[in-house]
This record gives sequence, C-alpha cells and structure tokens, in this order.
Amino acid sequence: MSSSDADGTGKAGVIVAPEDASPMDKLSHAILDDLVYNIVHDLLIKVHRDEKLARANTAAIKVEKLAMNATDGAAAADPKPDIVIDTDAAVYKDGQVTLKGNPLKTTQEILCPRCHLPRLLYPTDGKGARKPDPGVIYCKKHPYIQKPGYDIYGQTWVAPGPGRGKKKKDQKFDPNDPSSPAPDTGSAKDRPPNVLSFPSATCSKCKRCILVTRLNNHMGSCIGNSGRTASRAAAQKISNGSNGGSQNNDNTPPSSQKGTPLPGSRAASPRKRDADELDDDAEDSDLPGNPKKKTKLKAAGGSHALTKKVILKAKVPPSMAASLGKKDKPKTSSMLNVEQKPDDADDAKDSTVQVAPKKPTPVPKSASPSKKIKLGPPKPPLPSPGSLKKTKRERDLESESSGTLSSPPPR
Amino acid sequence: MAARPATPASPKNHKVKAPQPGQPMYGCEHLQRLFNQDQATTNTSIQHYKAILHTIFAKSPLIAQTAKMVDGQPVTELTPTYLCLQCPSTLTEDDRTKHGAKKSHRFYVDSRCGTLYCQMCDDIVYDPTFEELRLRKLGTGSFASRKRKIEELFETTDPVRENPTFLSANTMAASCKAGGLRGIYNAGATCYQNVVLQSFLHNPILRNFYLSDGHSSSNCDVPHCLSCAMDDMFQDFYAAEATNGYTAANILSGFWISDKKAFENLVTTKEQDAHEFFQFLAEELHERNGDGKRPESGTDHTCTCIIHQTYYGKLLSTTTCQNCSAVTNQKQSFLDLSLPLENLSQKKGKNRNPRPNGVLTLQECLDEEYIKSDKCEYRCTNCNSMQQARRQTSILKLPNVLSIQLKRFEYKQGRNERAVKIDTPVQFPLELNMLPYTNTARTRDVSAEYELARSCTYDLLCVVVHVGEIDTGHYVSYCRVGDQWFVFNDHKVEVAQISDVLNSRPYLLFYIVRSLA
Repeated sequence: MSSSDADGTGKAGVIVAPEDASPMDKLSHAILDDLVYNIVHDLLIKVHRDEKLARANTAAIKVEKLAMNATDGAAAADPKPDIVIDTDAAVYKDGQVTLKGNPLKTTQEILCPRCHLPRLLYPTDGKGARKPDPGVIYCKKHPYIQKPGYDIYGQTWVAPGPGRGKKKKDQKFDPNDPSSPAPDTGSAKDRPPNVLSFPSATCSKCKRCILVTRLNNHMGSCIGNSGRTASRAAAQKISNGSNGGSQNNDNTPPSSQKGTPLPGSRAASPRKRDADELDDDAEDSDLPGNPKKKTKLKAAGGSHALTKKVILKAKVPPSMAASLGKKDKPKTSSMLNVEQKPDDADDAKDSTVQVAPKKPTPVPKSASPSKKIKLGPPKPPLPSPGSLKKTKRERDLESESSGTLSSPPPR
Repeated sequence: MAARPATPASPKNHKVKAPQPGQPMYGCEHLQRLFNQDQATTNTSIQHYKAILHTIFAKSPLIAQTAKMVDGQPVTELTPTYLCLQCPSTLTEDDRTKHGAKKSHRFYVDSRCGTLYCQMCDDIVYDPTFEELRLRKLGTGSFASRKRKIEELFETTDPVRENPTFLSANTMAASCKAGGLRGIYNAGATCYQNVVLQSFLHNPILRNFYLSDGHSSSNCDVPHCLSCAMDDMFQDFYAAEATNGYTAANILSGFWISDKKAFENLVTTKEQDAHEFFQFLAEELHERNGDGKRPESGTDHTCTCIIHQTYYGKLLSTTTCQNCSAVTNQKQSFLDLSLPLENLSQKKGKNRNPRPNGVLTLQECLDEEYIKSDKCEYRCTNCNSMQQARRQTSILKLPNVLSIQLKRFEYKQGRNERAVKIDTPVQFPLELNMLPYTNTARTRDVSAEYELARSCTYDLLCVVVHVGEIDTGHYVSYCRVGDQWFVFNDHKVEVAQISDVLNSRPYLLFYIVRSLA
C-alpha cells in the first residue's frame, strides 16, 4: 500500500484519515482509499476500451471507404491495391490500415462496424436526450431511452380496457381520474406512433385471432380443458357421447357444439357458454362492467367493434348476417346492443327468459354462428383498444401487466 | 519474474494477427514500429506478453503487485503496478517514467487487467494481436485455441473460407436494431413464463445454439414442438427489427398441448410458479434436443443436449455411517440448486449478533447446503441396520449456467396449514466464487490455485423477482446484456441500474461461468 505517500493515504487520495488518527486508523484509511482507486480504475478501463476501440475502428472504416471509392471497389478484390490513402486518423497502405495518433483525439464520431452509418450518441428522449441532426442518417441502433412510463425504445402502451376482471380496480380508479372511464374516441391513427396497442395472435388450434392478453384463457378453453368452461365442456362431451376421444382431437370448437341443444338439465348452458366464448373473442372489449360505465359508453356512441358480434349473432338472422360484409358491421351498432351484451355475458342466469325467444334463430343453421365468430374477430380486436383513453394512466399501465393476472377467470 | 522462460521453448515464429476489415492493424503507431522491426522482436514481445499474462492471472497476485523501486527496495502495492514488456521489471506508476527514460522501454502491462500501456501515446492501447491473447487467457485460461484446430480441419472444404464473399452473397445481415431486447406480452397470468423465457433469451449459450441453427424449426416434424417455438422466438428477437412486445403464442400453445404429466397442474390459466415452469421448459427442451431419455431427477444422468450442457451439473452426496464409518457416495445430476431460507433466517435471528433486518447472504445459504454436513438416519449396508449418519453434499461438476432457486414459498405445517412466502432479503453478489462448494475444494487445499478459482467464477446473468403475496403477485426479471442491465416487466423493457438489480429480492438467480474452458 502507499502508506509512503506524502499525504498519508492511498492512491486515490479521497479517503483521508484525520491528522490525529492512530496509525491503525491511517492504515485502514489508506487501504480503503487504494480500493476505491482500483474500483474506479477498473471501471475506467472498461469504458476506455469500448470507446477507444470504437473510435479506432471508425478511423479504419473511414479510410477503407475512401480507398474503396478511390479504386472503384477494386480494393475489395485485390488484397494489396496499389494506393495510399492518408487521413487525420489513419493510413491505408498495401491493403493495411494503421493508426495515426490517438483515435480518442483524432476521431470524434463513431461508425457502426456493421452498417457503417454513424451511431447516435445520445438518446432522443428522456434522460440525457439530445436532438439528433435531422440531416444525418444514423445507424438503427440507438442509445436506450430512460424515461418514466416509457420503455427503452420510447414506447408506451395504451391502457387496456376495463374487462370484467378489472371492475374493482376501475371503480377505485374513477375518483382519482374522472376522465378515465370515458372511452377515447380516437382510433389507432390518432395515437402518437410510440403508443402501441396490444396485438392479437392466432390460436394454433382454432385459428381464430385472439387478443394477446386473453390468449392464455382462450387456449385454456380451446386446447386444454381446464378453463372455466371445462366442466361444461366435459358434460357436453359425455352427453354427446360420439366424440369419445380427448377434446384435443376434437376439432369442433365448443361454440359450434352448442348447435345441438340439449334437452336435459343444462338447457341454459350452451347459451351461456356461447356468451363466454364471445367474451373471449372480444377480449379487448370494454364490457360495460357497471351501469355507470355503460351509460358513458352510450353517450360516446358506443364502441362498435365489440358489440357487433352480439349484433351479428343475436339480432341479425343468420342468412342476413352472411350477406353483410364486414364493413357494414360498425354501422349496425346501437345502444340496445350495448345493453344486450351484459345480459348475455354476465347475467345469463337471470336472462334465461330473454334467451329463450332469441334461441330459435341460430338453431336452424347450426354451423353458422361459429362461422361468424371466426369471421368477425380478425379485424376488430386491434383498433378497439384505441378506443380506450390513453390519458396519463401510467400507473394503471404499470400495474396492468400484473393486472392481466386478474383477468376474468378464477384466480 | 524468474519463471519467465529465457529462451523460447519452440523456435516457431509468432505472427501478428492478420488484418481485419474495419479494424486497424496495430494498437498504435509505436506498436506498429515494434512489430515491424524484425521477427525476433515480434517473437520476444509476444512471448513476454504471454508470460506476463500468466504471471498476472495464474499466479499469486503478490508477484505481479510487487514492484521494485529504483533504489532496489521491493514494494507491494494494492493499486496496479506496471510490468515492462521489454525487460523483467515490475514498476510502480511513478517509476514507470524513469524506467522508460533510462532504458527506452516504452510498453508496460497493467497488473490488474493485463492491458498494455504505451508510454509514447501516454495511454492504454488495445492492439488486436495482444488483445486476442489477453481475452483468450481471461476466457479460457490458456492461449491454445481449440477452435482453430477444428477450423483448420474444415479449411479446404468450407465454402465460406474459400470465398469470403460467400457469406455476404448468401445471407442477410440482421439489422443493427435487432438486439434481442423486447418484452413479451402477458397472455393472461403468464408472467411466470415471460421471466423464464427472458432468462433463456439472454443466455448467451442458448442464444448461440439457436442462432446457429441448433434446432432448426424448418427441419423439425414434431407438431407443436417447444424447441421450434424457441427457435422462432430467438429468430424474432435477434433478427427482426421489431421493438414492440413479442407474442409467445407458439410457446403457449406448445405448453398447453404438452402432455408432461409431472407438470400437469401448471397447465391452467392461473398464476404459476416460475421455477416449475423453468423445470418444465428445461425438460421439454431436453426431450426435443437430447438423447430422448427422461432426465430423472436424483439420478446420475448425462446427456449432450444443449440444456444439459447449459444448466446441468452434478452433486456428490457422501454419507458416513456414525457406527462403522462406512462411506456411501451418491452422484446426482441437478438442474438447479434449491436453497432453503426459512431455517437460516430463524437461526440468524437467534444469533448473538444478528445483522440488521436479518439479512442473509447467498454465500451463507450455499455454506449451509454445500459445506456443512447434516445428520440423518439411513440403512447402513455394513452394519445391516438403521444407523445415524452424517451426510454431506458438495458439487462434483459445476454447470455452465448455474441456476439457484431461493425457496421463498414454503408450506407451513401445524395448526393452520398454509403456504407462506418468505420475504427475507438475500444479498447476492455480481460475481460468485463457487470453488468452496465443489468436491475439489473439500478434498484438497485450493487456496493457491488461482487458475482453478477463476474457472469457478460466475457472473450474475439474470434475476427473477416475485412481488406480491404467495397466491397472487407478479414476476419481473432483470437480465444483463453485455454490461448493461435491463428490467423486463412483461412487454415493457427498461434500463436498470446495478443497484436496482442488487436491491431486488431474488427468487431465481442465474449465474454464468466466466471462462468457458
């Protein structure tokens, strides 16, 4: 240790024992000071190495580029082209690049070793951000952004809609943020490009398009049979008898199995399951969880994408629905439908009376309902999250990831 | 310095590294002059550099840290000293200048990291030839490059080697934007999968395996193969420009379809244990890539599949009968080390000097399991009766990636049986020395084997953290990419500070071995 140093402490000289300290005190101060020096030394070497290598390589790339231009690309074929290029930072001679001086002094910018474009040296947003030169095409690898509420690419996500599982949280949220339940009428186009919505994915079994946040639940009911409809599916299977194999081998989605109404005890259940299936498709939907929200939805003209499946199913006779193009769907929305939905979804038990009269329509063409479900979803799920406010609900967004845990099915 | 060979062992001429495009040939003008003097100078420079690196990294640090003052007085420093490349002197930073002025020796090696200092540049220089040697010494502990021998075998048949334009003509370079940093969307209570997937994605060994077509999804016929899903995911993370979250639909459906009975209870839409999912995924991937045998836990199973090469190590349990002193050895392969917390934190509380808040360290937990022995009852074949025995477990073979589970979820027995979460903070290091827990360290004195200690050094790679209660909560993970840490919260990726990582309360820890020997 450097106890011999004039100031009586280590090499860093930042941890100094008081004048009247005992020799042991002074010694331990000196050792600690040396250790601090070592830590800083190691950190500096690391940063220095990265930076110096990047600049040295930049100098090499630049001079090689000049050589390439000078020989019209012939330099690539000839290992020792007969030219000498001399820049401030490097020399190209006999096909070899050698440095001139210290690249930390001679070279200021950093070129990407792969695409040979200049690297952006400061993030474009958040901590330490600087405006990039609009006239320069930068390498696509940017410094990571550090900004609360945004990810390393400066992206953020629209808050997910209040599904059924979110009722409590949303109610809690209302007083803090009165604007939150109001649906945002803006579509994906109106959002800034860095605000992303949740994508949809295709279920590998039924090939339907499912919003990602509902994918696990969907697969639970579609592939596995441990979803919340499992017991009903099992009952169905037993009563159907025909498909003795496991549900995995059965390609008929449960929804279309309901085409055959059961005479027995579970008369209401196909209907109810049907509603469940619908939710699974309209995962993104803000199912009006409570009356308050419902009215707001109405006021805003309803969120069309979500309700149209109900419309197709319940209101439009199958034959007519088939003729309706997808484009027509949004127009058919009405407040009535919005109100219809919760009955179907949540209050199926109470609404058996209501259900009964509607029942006949799907029955004649047993296959058609499921077909329509397949048709419908692919396009609605994406835009609809946009219909939810993107207002500063960052806290919600953060908890949203955990919030997805609290999605409808049983915990 | 006495160990430095006076004459070269072999008359072989050392070569300067061949020029690479986009890289200067030498570290600085002065090194260029040194290398261009004559072959003898190049030879001695490279030999001396190798000998110095050996002194620094494989011998007692006392040797490299002890410098000789100008007056001949030896002095041992804690801070770096400088080893002259051109003569066998070790100097302090102050004496370096004097030495250079007197002997015209201009190059010195830093005793802490082996980097080269050029006195004429007055800066550390990074020469391609020397850096290659240094990194190889640091990485594998030897200068021999096994890889090169294999490369030479294929030299004549490999079209890539014959024609350097082959690669550029037949492949497309991935965008500079594709850095493997993406979140994974939560598909409904799947954060326990996301954290494990992220730990796989940022595991360099698995990454290299999948990106080098280790399991090509285009050549696999297994329906809903999870390894294919992994392959697709790696491609998407490291080749696509997308920065939004990733939808792990194939993983999820493969997971739902999988018929692993042992993990049947995992397949629900509820929240699950990330550790169980890690075991599930490892076994599933082993089955797709390995010898087809089920890795029975607790057996001495060896397999050459990527999962075994990455995660599996071996334990040795030694049971000594207290009656007849007969010793029984049992080998077991392990995927991860599970460390109980509860007993230890209780013990801590009773201690005379409990640390504030009852903080545990990871090393204490490891000590408890793999250094200390415990008593047990067992049936001794020698005595042919039940006997008291002393059992000790140590690590026979360390894995390349060491996964550690801290048992935070315990089932409390007693009046009201219930599972509880133990929230005890556990301090864990960025750099972990596993040598004390190995069987080697138990059987002989290893205090002077620096090379061995370095081969047992692990760097923290990934931390999985559970927040919330036992039955509901959320998983996030921290992963290191290069030297930068990131926090992965489902689809959201943010930069993390090392202090954030070290202050988290880990559930799973992944350490990667520093030198892949």
